[in-house]
This record gives sequence, structure tokens and C-alpha cells, in this order.
Amino acid sequence: MNAKSLFWFFVGFVFVGFASSLWSLLTSILTVMPMPLPYWLLYTPGNIATAGIIVTALMPALYTYLGVALVLGKLLRGLVPIIMVTAFTIGLALLLAKLAIPALVILVIAYVMLIGTYTVLISVTTSRASKALWGVAAMVLALMPPILIGGGLTVMNYIRYMAITEQTMAITASAIETWRLGTHNP
Amino acid sequence: MWSVSRALPVVVLALAIASIVVLVVDGVGASPSLIASIHIGGFGEVDYYASQPMPNVPPGLLVRVYLINGSIIEPVDAFIDVYANAPSGIVHVAMGYSSSLTVPFNNTNWQYAINKWASLGIPFSGYNTSMLVFITYVKGNESWIVPLLIPYNVGWVYRALGKATLSAATPRYILVNAFININELRPSRVVPVRLNGTVTDPQVFGTYNGYTVYNCSLSGPEPPNIYTSSPSYEFTPTSTCLGFNGSLPIAWVTLSNGVIQNDEGLQFELNIYFSGTINWDAMSTDYGDLGTSYSANENWVLSSPTYTIGSQITQPGSVYWYYGGATWAIVNYEVWYVEGTMGAYYMGTTTVSEVLYAPPYDTNVNPAFDYGNGTISMLYYGAIPVSRQYFGYPALNASTVVDYAAFIYTSTGQEYLYQCNGPVNVTTSGTYAITLGGVNTAYGLSLAELGTGLGGLALGISSMLITPSTSSSVTSTYIEFFNVKTGTNLYISVIDASKTYGLPTFGFILNATSYYGNPTTYTCKYGKVAQIG
Repeated sequence: MNAKSLFWFFVGFVFVGFASSLWSLLTSILTVMPMPLPYWLLYTPGNIATAGIIVTALMPALYTYLGVALVLGKLLRGLVPIIMVTAFTIGLALLLAKLAIPALVILVIAYVMLIGTYTVLISVTTSRASKALWGVAAMVLALMPPILIGGGLTVMNYIRYMAITEQTMAITASAIETWRLGTHNP
Repeated sequence: MWSVSRALPVVVLALAIASIVVLVVDGVGASPSLIASIHIGGFGEVDYYASQPMPNVPPGLLVRVYLINGSIIEPVDAFIDVYANAPSGIVHVAMGYSSSLTVPFNNTNWQYAINKWASLGIPFSGYNTSMLVFITYVKGNESWIVPLLIPYNVGWVYRALGKATLSAATPRYILVNAFININELRPSRVVPVRLNGTVTDPQVFGTYNGYTVYNCSLSGPEPPNIYTSSPSYEFTPTSTCLGFNGSLPIAWVTLSNGVIQNDEGLQFELNIYFSGTINWDAMSTDYGDLGTSYSANENWVLSSPTYTIGSQITQPGSVYWYYGGATWAIVNYEVWYVEGTMGAYYMGTTTVSEVLYAPPYDTNVNPAFDYGNGTISMLYYGAIPVSRQYFGYPALNASTVVDYAAFIYTSTGQEYLYQCNGPVNVTTSGTYAITLGGVNTAYGLSLAELGTGLGGLALGISSMLITPSTSSSVTSTYIEFFNVKTGTNLYISVIDASKTYGLPTFGFILNATSYYGNPTTYTCKYGKVAQIG
């Protein structure tokens, strides 16, 4: 198993998380400021969707990289992120083709595989703190759908907080792992 | 062994910490979050943001203008004009030439519209209204105009200004992105026009057409405090006071181009008879007639010369009586409800129009012609935009017409006199007098009488000599026609501008083909149609 490959995955994970959250904070504040702004710097639904698409394109790329790196390192669990990305891509394609039910089924599989990917990450990370954080993030990820289904739109705020917690955990875990892999050379 | 810059893990750690801070800031709602969005065709979009108060960014409306040319989208300077819908009409709120314009909720004009809605007494959820935004982009001799309707709720404004607590999250910032798509929108050709010298902008202090527009909260004549009893209100002038010093009209006749062309030889006199004390009342947009704010002894028993169309009068315009050296003002007053033992309660503000000064007796009272740059033109053109802004509706329109009468030459070759709503007095010598109830009775008219005209009151000049006011002895204003003959086409509309301006001011508007403002409903009483000649 090549630790270098994993190192770059975690660096990428933090970068994407940082870029997307910074973009939304900066644009949301700048947008209401009385100053001329280029259109792409506005926090409008169109731009938020574009940013979302960029992030959704970058994250599968990162997970594919993770999966391939693991498989090449003779770890077959690398197939989990690869299946996740494949399922996600197929689900999205079905959604674009307006086949809602099959898309939903495939996307549910993708979501389960995402939780699986977090579990895979727990197994391959080297620090205990990082393992714990990925673990909590995976649990939050697993809890979100049942809560959303049970509570509907009334719990939307809690879901939002849970998503933020999950992202915070994942980013922190990635940062710790980057730090460990970058400063303690195996 | 692989080499990685030692700095990279540090950078990643810093970025991670920064991301977490950003996520938390976002999570607690400290930064603006998009809660609703509307697309207005391809012309624009409206985005509503809930947010904690941001330093130096007052809550309100922010308009941004973007030019779309092919795949390029960029901010561009344009004329941005913002209006607020009020229950009684449209109020001009703000304008500018820029690529973005901020209109805070506490903008005075916007507040005026907001208070108008609030005064209706509907629950907050029922206050859904809108702003109107017009974007005009000009390039070379072409212009593109984009109108946008921006829905909002009055409750949001109150909440953002801390005046109300609403349960649900409400927008604090409303962003309007206007798109000038020069590939899809057809431009209008700009036709250069000669600026009309009669249109004045009273927002700018200075002298226009013989009027001195001044800030009457700083220099005299200044508006007085006004008190009313039952209910007890005290009205205190604020620092917003727009004074107009110059000639104020008493009565006028406006002749259209059609009359000049069709009714050559027709003669008329405009007469004002008044003797006694005139009480000029302050008229509030919210509280109505507040009572006398200025009074003076006047003695106007004056007949104009006989004017003949085609001789003395050869072009469209107005003939009018005025008193010179007088001052009229639009004043913003603070309103206090006064209760005997408990003190005073602040009720908000209201806009009042009132006369601040008029010369006594017949000092400086004269007839004059106005061919587009005089007092009457000021009333028609200059004061209309002002009244539209301050009162929410134009002062002079079809609804301010109180009387109608007409001399009509029918297709069968007969001349008829039609009395519609209005009093016409016919003398045996063949003159016709359209009489008004005199200057001082203007305020004595009930709403019902204003609605149905003065017909019941004014049966003739003689009956008008006895007035309801004890302070005056003679009061009458009328226009008298001579030389009405077969073929005369004359539609007479009598306009009452008193209610809006606080000036006892009436106008006779003469047209050749229809009544002023093309009214859709007016009553011509049966038996009031008389064949002439």
C-alpha cells in the first residue's frame, strides 16, 4: 500500500472542502454588499448550482483515485469507492434521463457505498483520531436519511447541522491524516 | 522514500481549520443564506437572503445591472429607477445611474409606502406587495428598457428594522439582478427632445419659472405647529420642508388647441368675487383637513377683461388669476396623539401641503396669460410629479373634476347646451355663466357633494352670494361665456385642486371634443339639455 497515494487523496479532500465552503461564504457576503461584482461572484441559485456541479465532479474524481490507488495496492476494498462512483454516475444519468425510480434505487446504493467508503477510509487511515472522526462522520451520514424520512421538512435545520458536522469531521480527519502522512514518513 | 514539501501538511491543516470556521459561520446563519429566488423571464432574477445584521450594510433592496452580450455577462451602468406600490398608487423611491443601486428599507419614500400599507390594519401575512424597478441602458442612440416587479412582504421590512418579531425566517436583503440581453431585447431608438422649460425638478433648491424653491425648515416662511381637538393631535414640522415662493393661482381657464381652432369669436370672462377672511387649511395625506394653518383678510372683487378667442387669445394656454409673493409648501410633520393626563404618543409622520403666506387684501392679485411657463403650467407639470411622489397620486386628473358642462353642435345641425353635473346659469341676453361655490366654500363641501358636483349648491350667481362662512361677505368664482352660437363646440370641465394642495384653487378646462381626462362616467341630468339658437 502506497501511503503517498492516500496522502494526495486527503490533500485533495481538504482543498475541495475548503474551496467550496469559502466560495459560499465569500459570495454570500459579497453579494449583499453595495459594490459592483462580476456575475460569477454572486450567491445566486444558478451559481450555487454551478459550484455544486463542480464539487460533485471533483469528489467522484477523488474517490475514483482513492479506489484505484487501493486496488493497485492490492487492497480489494478499493472497489467500494469505485462502485460508489459508478453507481453515482449511473444514478445521475438516469435522473437526467427522467427515470426517477431506477435513479433513486441506484443513488441509494451509491449512498450506502459512500458510507462504505468512509468505513474503508477508517481501515486505511493510520491515526486513531482520524479513524474516530471518520467513524463519527460515517454514523452521521447513516443517520441522516432515516431522520429526514421520519421528520420531513420540519427537521431540515437539524439535517443541515448534521451535514455541517459530517463535513467538519471528514475535513478534520483528512487534515489529521495529511499531517501524519506528511510529517511521519513511513 | 518520497519527498513532500514540509509546508504542505501545514497548509492543509490551516485550510481545514479555515473550512471548519467557515462551515460553523455558515451553520449558525451569520452569513447571508438564500431562502427564496424568483426568475423574471430572461430579464432578471430576485433573490431573497436571510441573514444576521451585517456591519455597514443596511437591510433593503440591492439592484444590480448586468449586460449580456453573447456569452459575456458583465456589470454595466444604467439608469435604475425604483418605485414602491402603495395602496393609493405608486411612490417614487429612488433612482441612480450606476451598475448597482442600494435602497435601504428605511428610505423615507419607501417608509411612506410601508406606513400606508400598515395603516390598513391587515395582519402582517397579508401585506404582500411589490416594488417596481425600471432599468434603462443607453448606448449610442439606442436604449434598452427592462421593467421588473419585485414582490416583498411589509412584515419583512418591519422585522429587518427591528419593529416587529415574526416567527419564520424572513429576508433581510433582497437582491435584484437585471439582465440587459442586447442579443434578445430589441432596443428603442433614442429621439433627442428639446427639454421642456416648464418641467422643473423641485428637489433641487433654486429659482424656476419665477418660483423660488427653498428649504422651509431652515428659512422663512416656516410651517407652524398645528393642533387639532377631538381627536387631539399635535403636528410638529420635521426638517423635511419644501417651500415654493411665487405666484399661487386662484382660478384659471385652460384652453386646448381644438378650442382655439374651432371656436373663434367665442368670448369669456373669468371673475373672482371674494371679500372677507380666507382661511387656508393644511391638508394631510393621512389625516385629511387639519384646519387653518394660515389666514388673511382678502378683498377680491375682480372681473377679467373680456377675452375673445381669435383676437386676444390665439394659442392654447391658460388665463388665470393669481396672488403673487405667496408661499406654498409640502411639509413632513411628526404626529403626536395627545391625551389629557397620560401625555403624548408618537404616531409617525405625515405629509402636509399648506399655504405659509399670502399677501393681504388685493395686493398683487392680477390676471395673467400662461403659454407654457407660468403658474398654471407649474401646477400642471411641475407640481404633478411632486404630488405623485409625496401623495402617491397626481393632483390633477379626471377624478379631481367636479363639474361638467358642454355646448355641442350636433351632427343634425343643432346647437345644444348640456349640463352634466354642473351648474350653468343662462341669462336672457344669451350669456352663460359656469359658477363655482367660491373660494371659501371649497373646504365646506362634503365628500358627497364633491362626488356629485356642485349642482345642488350653485343654482346661480345670486344664490352664491350668501355663503356658509360668516367671515366673508361675497364669494364666487365663475366663468362667463358670450357669443355662443350655432357651431360652437366647447366641453367645460371644472377641476378642484383644493383637496390636494390646500390652496383654494379651481380651474376651468376648455376642450373642443371631449372632457378633460376623458372621464368614463358623468351624469347629464334629464331636462338639463337645452337647445340654443
